[in-house]
Amino acid sequence: MAPLQTMSRTLARSTAARLPTTAASPTTTTCVRAVSSSPALSSPATFQSPFTLKGESKSTQVPDFSKYISKKQGSSNALFSYFMVGTLGAISAAGAKSTVQEFLVNMSASADVLAMAKVEVDLNAIPEGKNVIIKWRGKPVFIRHRTSAEIDEANQVNVASLRDPQSDEDRVKKPEWLVMLGVCTHLGCVPIGEAGDFGGWFCPCHGSHYDISGRIRKGPAPLNLEVPTYDFSDDGKLVIG
Amino acid sequence: MASGAVYSALFRRNYTMLGLVFAGAFAFEMGYDNVMNKVWDNYNRGRQWKDIRHKYVEGGDDE
Repeated sequence: MAPLQTMSRTLARSTAARLPTTAASPTTTTCVRAVSSSPALSSPATFQSPFTLKGESKSTQVPDFSKYISKKQGSSNALFSYFMVGTLGAISAAGAKSTVQEFLVNMSASADVLAMAKVEVDLNAIPEGKNVIIKWRGKPVFIRHRTSAEIDEANQVNVASLRDPQSDEDRVKKPEWLVMLGVCTHLGCVPIGEAGDFGGWFCPCHGSHYDISGRIRKGPAPLNLEVPTYDFSDDGKLVIG
Repeated sequence: MASGAVYSALFRRNYTMLGLVFAGAFAFEMGYDNVMNKVWDNYNRGRQWKDIRHKYVEGGDDE
């Protein structure tokens, strides 16, 4: 009983295993025939559908596209397409660059601001030992034509003893011309010239004393008077800014 | 064939295509700006400072 059952099972399995192969073989052959017989590589217009069964209607046929095939030679169509793509890309790039640039230019200083940014002073009109106050970017600027005695006095100060240690050479470009912003570093008042305990400037608001080099010596101010960027032009003029 | 030569020389490789596009953008921008400035100046002829400057400023071109 038991051996017979096993045998029948084995038979059934073998037939079941053989069935798919027999069923699959026709399809594989048709596939191979379809690929080999299709002349797709040589001329795509004459494609033969493998599904030629029965009741063939017009909708199942591949239409004739030969009318639409380009008659131009070589890659002239590709050339034109890529030319159009490249032109669009170039125009887009120029537009993007222009957009970004206009935004950035928008943020920079306008012409009227730039026109006020520099001030020219004729130094020949300032005698020795005199102060001149000019307005630059809305702030007063002190220009002092220092005498040689004042220069010596500024150099004799022990730099290490100062609150904001800075030697006189670091604060001037030419020793006889002292140029600095006339804004007290304490709270922004305008100091008075030729006043105070050190012969320089004195801030009346809270009593800060600056020496002849504009350095803080006494009072609440924490820093020396600020020195703006300036330059001496050739014809005896001072350009601030 | 000329078109084939252009295609294979410039469009075939991506970096040459990109370089061509950027160079074209640069040239296009210069030309476009020039033309548009000309159009603007032509449209506003006689109304800008550079057109009437000679009436108010004598001589020196120092500004």
